[in-house]
Amino acid sequence: MVIKYLLKLFLVLIFFVSINQSKADFFKDITSLIDNNDFRLSYGVSVTDINQDNKYEFVVTGFGFSNLALSYQNGKLININKNEIFDDAKRKTIGVAACDIDQDGFEEIYFLNTDTYSGEKKYSDRLIDNSSNGFVDLFEKDINKKNLNLTAGRSVVCVDRNGNGKYGIYVANYGGPTRFYEQSSRQIQDLAEQLKINKITGGRAVVAGNILSGKTDIFAANERGKNFLYYNSDGFFQDIAKDYKVDDPFENGRGTTLSDILYRGRLDIITSNWNGYHRAFVLEDNKFKDIATPTYNIPSRIRTVISADFDNDGYDEIFMNNIGEPNKLFKIKENGFFEEINIKNAYEANGLGTGAAVADIDDDGILELLIAHGESGMQPLTMYKADIKKDFNYLRIKPLNKFGAPARGATVILRSNLRKHAKTIDAGSGYLCQMEPVAHYGIREGEKNISIDVIWTNGLLETFNVNELNKTIKIRQK
Amino acid sequence: MREIFNIFCKKFKALKTFFIFLLITFFCFIKPSYSKDFNYYDDLVKDWIKIFPDQNRNAAGPKFFKHILDKEITYQDFIEYNKLYCAVSGSLISPNSRPDFVYLKSAENGEKICGFYHKCCFPCSCDLMKYSQVKNMKYKFSDGEKEFTVLTIKNPCGKKDFPREVNRNYFCNGEVLDNNQVVSIDNRLVIGLLHNSSKCNEQSIAAIDKDEYTGAYCELRNNAPLEQVQGGMGDIFIKMARD
Repeated sequence: MVIKYLLKLFLVLIFFVSINQSKADFFKDITSLIDNNDFRLSYGVSVTDINQDNKYEFVVTGFGFSNLALSYQNGKLININKNEIFDDAKRKTIGVAACDIDQDGFEEIYFLNTDTYSGEKKYSDRLIDNSSNGFVDLFEKDINKKNLNLTAGRSVVCVDRNGNGKYGIYVANYGGPTRFYEQSSRQIQDLAEQLKINKITGGRAVVAGNILSGKTDIFAANERGKNFLYYNSDGFFQDIAKDYKVDDPFENGRGTTLSDILYRGRLDIITSNWNGYHRAFVLEDNKFKDIATPTYNIPSRIRTVISADFDNDGYDEIFMNNIGEPNKLFKIKENGFFEEINIKNAYEANGLGTGAAVADIDDDGILELLIAHGESGMQPLTMYKADIKKDFNYLRIKPLNKFGAPARGATVILRSNLRKHAKTIDAGSGYLCQMEPVAHYGIREGEKNISIDVIWTNGLLETFNVNELNKTIKIRQK
Repeated sequence: MREIFNIFCKKFKALKTFFIFLLITFFCFIKPSYSKDFNYYDDLVKDWIKIFPDQNRNAAGPKFFKHILDKEITYQDFIEYNKLYCAVSGSLISPNSRPDFVYLKSAENGEKICGFYHKCCFPCSCDLMKYSQVKNMKYKFSDGEKEFTVLTIKNPCGKKDFPREVNRNYFCNGEVLDNNQVVSIDNRLVIGLLHNSSKCNEQSIAAIDKDEYTGAYCELRNNAPLEQVQGGMGDIFIKMARD
């Protein structure tokens, strides 16, 4: 009798302890939703609509493993790809970004393959177009073979440099010239030399968006070399990194993203350094100032960095994905204060994080965080979302350009009685990765009078009133 | 005609000599240019025998600090050089090594100051946190005057148990700190630089305390009896730095 009583008491205790623990944690682990989640070497992750069903998929690269297209179907994340070229398990893919390079309203996917650490590589990259014959690699066409990228690289980013919806792809190479691919007369051409951005460096992370010029600028975080900040001047670029004090010559760049650190309606630069100080570059008097302080800037084995509002409280978090050491999460409070949030789920003390991306893949108004692992050991993917118990409100803005394609590189600004909050429509960020092309806002307590500005990639601004929350609003460029 | 030729030759020789003299003077006085491509580590390795003529670098961070400060360099160069030696052990540190986030007491007001310490090994971070205090220092570099935070210990020159493993003559002139060889502030010996320093907040202190090394390991090391202290410099630096 006593034993039975004690056993019951023990079970009740266990129950309450587990409840308390789950309440205490920021994320909940939803990895079990990933179907056939095998041990593998994965790298970059992108979010795009690969089957043109108006829903986004996580595209996960494989390093000697299949590239995956993970679609949310019937409560599971399932690989829906059946195409051999897309799968490409023989090649070693690390970087990925998607954008509409041919102005047909659908995004092509650039897979950056790397079989050497630096310099010349064996296999070219792939540029996948979803044609009527299924996926084709545009680089396999004879007309494009002379322009293959045969240099080891890392990240790729989409750039609508002229603001006309015709995307080019900046390829951050390592130990060889940077490439900038655009399609012209059905031919893929490397314009890097013409645009004077064909510099040789240890290319690592790269982001593109409305940083300074009002159009799409490029920031590249490099290793063993200065960072680049390319100012867009009528579609041509000028490196102003040194003048604007973001060249960071003594650090080795990694995960980078654009974020409105001070909630003032403009994008600043969050960039991290491998075992070096992580930076929060905020524009002040025509110079960027690093406002990162401990514990945010403590050096770590950093890979991907993501800025997003996971818990829908209206303040963005910064997720730092480290490899071989625990991940970290910070909330960006007012005045640029980074408050560290202790996490248990997504902490991944022994995780070999290589890439990560966010998207509201199940369309419930809360972002999912997918983390890829690999490099020094095979590990499965993991997935988390904020464990939100209370009621919340959100707003998701999905700008589409005049061709109907995601307006990657455009800026969305939420205006209300409490903030002016800019977000980029991600053109490529984190490290090797690209987030969903949606500006996701949690709504703050007491927030009202909400309107939305969209600054398109051509620099023009349009304003929209918001009458209804908790939905995704598509905005089409005129 | 021949005379004119001879005069021309003589003048040309004089001109040549003058030109060579100018070149030599230029190269004698030219300063090394520091940039991303400049290898600070190689430069310190090259200077090592000048810094430590008897080749004993034990606990000789102060010698590195003074040597670097005496170079006519920019503030950024000063920062980069100071990442390359361990203030506690005097050992060189490989470039791009990862610093520890630490806190130390301010020698001025007792406040906890947080910052980054480039160390050769973890025990040195522990010894530093326990036995060193920080002070602010100003210095005029080639690009202007800057203020920064330095790591200091009490003047050890009067110690009767000055560790025999350390070359006392590097630091002391009798019982006084030798300012020709080291830098001192208010009779405290400057042993190195605390990078990116700021007043600690609760979040920073918690992060240091919960870290595997600066937290748990240091607590163990810093509470062990001196005779049981192993690793790093053992008890050499501690003997020099303790009260």
